[in-house]
Amino acid sequence: MDALTIKHASAMPAPTWSWLRMNDTKLEIPCDLERVRAVTVEADEALTETHASFEGAVAKLQERLDAERTGLEDTRACVRAAAREAEDLNDLDTPALSAYQLRATRDELANDVAAAFETGIGIDARSYLNFLAGGTVVLATEEGADEAAVVRVAGTAGGAAAASVDVVAAPNSTLDLTVSLDGNGEGSDAAGLIGSELRVFAGPRSHVNVCVYVTADAGFTALDDSGYVLDEGARVTVRHTVLGGAHTATGLAADLRGDTARMDVDTRYLACGEDTRDFNYIIRHHGRKTVSNMDANGVLTGTSKKVLRGTIDLIHGCKGSEGSERETVLLANQGVDNKTVPTILCDEDDVAGNHGATIGHVRPEQLFYLGCRGLSQEAAEALFVTAKLEDAALSAPDEQIRANVVRLGSALVDDFKDFEEELA
Amino acid sequence: MSTDALLSVANLTASVDEKTILHNVNLNVRAGETHVLMGPNGAGKSTMGHVIMGDPVYTVNEGTITFDGADITELSCDKRSRAGLFLSFQAPVEIPGVPLSSFLRATIAGRPGLEMKGKEFRRRVKELAAQLDMDTAYLNRELGVGFSGGEKKKVEMLQLLLLQPKLAILDETDSGLDVDALSVVSRGMDAYRASCDGSLVIITHNTRILEHLTVDRVHVMVGGRIVREDDASLIPWIDEHGFESFEREAAGTADER
Repeated sequence: MDALTIKHASAMPAPTWSWLRMNDTKLEIPCDLERVRAVTVEADEALTETHASFEGAVAKLQERLDAERTGLEDTRACVRAAAREAEDLNDLDTPALSAYQLRATRDELANDVAAAFETGIGIDARSYLNFLAGGTVVLATEEGADEAAVVRVAGTAGGAAAASVDVVAAPNSTLDLTVSLDGNGEGSDAAGLIGSELRVFAGPRSHVNVCVYVTADAGFTALDDSGYVLDEGARVTVRHTVLGGAHTATGLAADLRGDTARMDVDTRYLACGEDTRDFNYIIRHHGRKTVSNMDANGVLTGTSKKVLRGTIDLIHGCKGSEGSERETVLLANQGVDNKTVPTILCDEDDVAGNHGATIGHVRPEQLFYLGCRGLSQEAAEALFVTAKLEDAALSAPDEQIRANVVRLGSALVDDFKDFEEELA
Repeated sequence: MSTDALLSVANLTASVDEKTILHNVNLNVRAGETHVLMGPNGAGKSTMGHVIMGDPVYTVNEGTITFDGADITELSCDKRSRAGLFLSFQAPVEIPGVPLSSFLRATIAGRPGLEMKGKEFRRRVKELAAQLDMDTAYLNRELGVGFSGGEKKKVEMLQLLLLQPKLAILDETDSGLDVDALSVVSRGMDAYRASCDGSLVIITHNTRILEHLTVDRVHVMVGGRIVREDDASLIPWIDEHGFESFEREAAGTADER
């Protein structure tokens, strides 16, 4: 395959200054990679043998939303502005809308779930990952069922492999989905690509728990793209653990359409050497009393770079909703480049949006303390990396993923094997 | 300077932000000895411990620090630790994100004779934790985060026993502890002395912690100077009279200067 560049990937919904270079990212897909099938799905037949589809579930939700439309006229100025074809001197109270505001207002008026569906990295990456995957696996629960599934992408140097998965969780059902994006270079730094494209429809009062582990060796690019639609009372928890890979992009967009839907995202990341990490999270609150939480916790060492965009969009009508995002990042080396862009968009009065970021270099007194116990600056840096890896290994969802973490850890830190022995 | 000293501090003058804290300090500690550095608050005792350990906050303006036959005045703190020096902190720092067990494993890595493989390490640490009445659940918690004062001191004692340094400086390890925690610290010091016959420099302004220790030498510091040195008989005297007379004397000397 030829080299491919995906431009304007992982774009923030409402851009900031271009010169800050964080509105979006450019994804370089290494050239000469062979498209390989390296995906295994571990799931009960009951989950995979289904006639349910993501589109079908969204269409059903749409029918209900259309039936609930009140037909009352919306007299807001932004609505008048969006509907207006040309400037009108008799209506100077109508504001001029930015391109973003115009699009947002039109989307809001259309109330079209399928048209508004998006994934975190964006449509170009979605198309590419779907092409790599070849076909989409649909995992659909029965009403009230409790199921689990594991999807493993086992990338190799010189290959490009991706999984495409749709999840349709029926009302009152529970699904635990684990996605392992593992790139094993077997000692080589040659390029490789792994990825996953995930669409999730969480039906009324369903629980969907997604855990993604990225354990890629030094030459890999990893793309983890996902989009979620949550119906009434649905609860989705997502855990992203990104430990390895030269370049990784993690994108998640969620549409909290149903009332009282809740989304919790927990991100843990590590970047060493010249790694780049890109995260784009967009959570849109449409339903009333919806709740979202984004928590990120990371360690950056070497001359690694990271951008995390977290957007909470409190859309008109989402009364009583709450969104919060928080990030804690430890900069273990002066050479790292860390960017965090927490954004809260709001067009509703009765809501709460919170954001916070704690960005810290290792303090001199911490370094002295570590020094007093025999740890040099380099050893201290390695300790922070080790701690992150150990935490990831201890909370790995299964043995195979734990083994992937240990393999990656042993490549990054000298004594990581000791930890493995201690665990045994 | 005594030639058989394990630690020898000679004419040490040290400052921070161009303010001199220690003035021509001399201290010699032989292998296996227990010394006590006493004095009122703000006398420079903790500074002394930190300068011996190589805290980059302080500048050594004059004098030398020799340890185990080598001049360590210019060495970084991690190298001093690996040479066999240990400083227990009055207020141990918190390091969020780093579990205690990961930290402990990193402290012994690459130390000849101390390095242990996974299971052996876990066993040894559990053994020491039991000796100090410490819940092993702490091993998986982030270093110092949410630990009480007593728990932090136990972690310091655990490191002392794990690393078995040739000389340990305990900086007010007894401060702010209740009777139970104090007995744990005492037990830690006894176990350290028993296991490797290491030397101790105990910095304190309280004589309670010294009650059942055999002390070889007592140094009294006032205003960044050692103003009195004597044997253990000085401890009950200080317990009785405090530091006032030393402070008066030091003030008088300063006036003369």
